Amino acid sequence: MPDAPPPITTHFDGPVAILGLNRPDKRNAQTPELLADLVAAAVALPESCRAVVLTGHGAVFCAGFDMRLVHDDPDALPRLLRGLSTAVRTFKRLPVPVVAAAHGAAVAGGCALLAAADVVVTNRHARLGYPVVRLGISPAVNAGALRRTITDGATRERALDPDLISGVEAARIGLAHHCLDQPHAVLPTAIGLAHHLASKPPHAVAATKRLMLRLDGLDSDGPFDLGLAASLALAGSPEQRDRVAALWSAGDSRR
Amino acid sequence: MSNLATLRVDGPIARLVINRPDARNALSIELLGALHDRLDELTHTHAGAHVLVISGAGKAFCAGMDLKQIVGDAALAGRLLSGLGDLTTKIRRLPLTVLGAVNGPAIGGGCGIVTVCDLAITFADNKMGFPEVDLGICPAVVAPWLVRKVGPGRARQILLTGGLMSGAEALAHGIVTQCVPTLADLEPAVEAMATRLAAGGPAAMRATKSLLNELDGSMDDAILREAAAISASIVGSPETQATLKARLKA
Repeated sequence: MPDAPPPITTHFDGPVAILGLNRPDKRNAQTPELLADLVAAAVALPESCRAVVLTGHGAVFCAGFDMRLVHDDPDALPRLLRGLSTAVRTFKRLPVPVVAAAHGAAVAGGCALLAAADVVVTNRHARLGYPVVRLGISPAVNAGALRRTITDGATRERALDPDLISGVEAARIGLAHHCLDQPHAVLPTAIGLAHHLASKPPHAVAATKRLMLRLDGLDSDGPFDLGLAASLALAGSPEQRDRVAALWSAGDSRR
Repeated sequence: MSNLATLRVDGPIARLVINRPDARNALSIELLGALHDRLDELTHTHAGAHVLVISGAGKAFCAGMDLKQIVGDAALAGRLLSGLGDLTTKIRRLPLTVLGAVNGPAIGGGCGIVTVCDLAITFADNKMGFPEVDLGICPAVVAPWLVRKVGPGRARQILLTGGLMSGAEALAHGIVTQCVPTLADLEPAVEAMATRLAAGGPAAMRATKSLLNELDGSMDDAILREAAAISASIVGSPETQATLKARLKA
């Protein structure tokens, strides 16, 4: 059997590291292993790296948690929630700027990664959001970071309304910062932006990122832990199990 | 039972109507009492509902505090302001997701009710806003909610500028979630959103709202009590009383 492709790819373009979610046939759905590898890739970045681009291979950025896994294994959801929380903390705390390139859909756990980035590039056709209350899952795990990217009001709207929004709407509420006309322009634009950010004096950039974290109250684990605990408390609830089971019994092909 | 506020529950969706159309749904002490009663009834006897839609009867959503009741009687004005503060807190802490259907003017305390809703929809040329400073009133009761909703920078601009804004501007400021072109488009948009919200997992939505309340300071009672006291002291001042009397005569 050939080796499975790595769930995360790392490429370097000069001082810019490009991390790619690499399960294109599964819409880059997150597994505990993918999230752990993502964190490992971020932690392993060399000193010479001055900016990071986070992207996804294939047509979508990331469809969120692998729901087949959540359905089949009762331990998967808690592990995914912990893994996502760790990934968001890790990217928030990187000393170099993080640019997310959401060329396609960024849903639920995938959209959570956008809130971990400093700059988000998307396109008008992309669909973004946190439709997880439909599945009896609380997006609380990401609320601590999201409310510092967009307002508390918009966080409430996006967390409670299970609808997806367009890239245009994402830019309007501040979830994305650049909304392009075409999906194929997203990654090159993000890499260009990352090079621009990489050209700045790194100590000033790192100090500014540290200060912003402190002002956001995200230098401590408190807000992350609170959200993670709220999501974990519902993992395995009858509501969650029934709704995830219904995804398959109804022959739902969304996942 | 007072019919100043009506409650109807239909499966997962409850509907609260502010029902004083002859006074543009202005918040009198009696109306505030009726709204409190209906919300208590909702939490105590309709456990199956997990989405609440709030709208106004007639042409207005809510014209704000009943100015007639805050002129002359300082004690009554104080009770009105703390009653509004308590109402906004009660709405925020409901274990239901609250959708404001802003069917007409939402002014002052009325716009405060919109602000405290989890989501809100209005139409483009509606009139909304916080003209408190224009009347010599401090919008203290709504200020903490507006800061939580749109952020401190925008809240400062909105509250210090006073005046009114259109529904489209309310969307740009983040006071409402969605703005439809005309009043005729409102009901279908509200029904679509209410249906969508009702399809969410009730336990997941309750837990999410509760966490958001904890993160954004919505559980902080001290600031709201202080705000109501500040507002009451400004309303009771001779300058403000004179401004309000002149306004009522006009």
